Amino acid sequence: MFLTDLLKPKTIAYAHCDLPCGVYDPEQARIEAESCYKIIEKYNASSDEQFKTRAIVIKEERAELAKHHIDVLWSDYFKPEHVQKYPEITELCWKAAKQCSKVKGSLDIGEAKMLLDMIDKIDDVWTKAGGPTATRMPKAAAARA
Amino acid sequence: MEPALRDGDWVVVAPLARPPRVGEIVLARDPRVPERLVLKRVARVKGGVCMLLGDRPEESTDSRTFGPVALSAVLGRAVFRYAPLLRAGLL
Repeated sequence: MFLTDLLKPKTIAYAHCDLPCGVYDPEQARIEAESCYKIIEKYNASSDEQFKTRAIVIKEERAELAKHHIDVLWSDYFKPEHVQKYPEITELCWKAAKQCSKVKGSLDIGEAKMLLDMIDKIDDVWTKAGGPTATRMPKAAAARA
Repeated sequence: MEPALRDGDWVVVAPLARPPRVGEIVLARDPRVPERLVLKRVARVKGGVCMLLGDRPEESTDSRTFGPVALSAVLGRAVFRYAPLLRAGLL
């Protein structure tokens, strides 16, 4: 038996946050951002005032959710070692979160498209940083590979 | 609990012969899931319970979420980190 086996703790205690599920995927933000994109499309195609009002409310809600998911990725998934390796991630997440606010307050489909592109860039870094296998279950990781 | 404790640290926990004191890192039972053990810092001790907080409030789940912890659920005090060796030392 090795010494390290003798010294190895027998009990595990948790010092970090909530029973972390460890699942982080930019896809979650992307789906909300796609909703914003489609809602703006539908808004522009409609002449029903009531529908348009609802579209605005729902788009704002979705934009806020996209922002939340980007925040979670940034603060919970990306670790100092990722930032060291991919320093651009800080600005990507920061700008994408700001872009969510823009989409929330705008009906310009160009802004929604820009948000999708930004999330795709975050996705690239997440993939390079081993996100799919580190955070998703095998089936989803394979689909995202 | 970063930067005081990091994922994978090996620490010695000493049983408590007295009530925990503010500022100490203690091993306690999570009031929501008693078999789950947590290491958190004592923020306040009063009337048989204590408030436990993580060192990183923005990321920690602590007494703000699970409420005060009974002193009977505080099992010991983290006193020493023995691995990794480079960061070994008193807590």
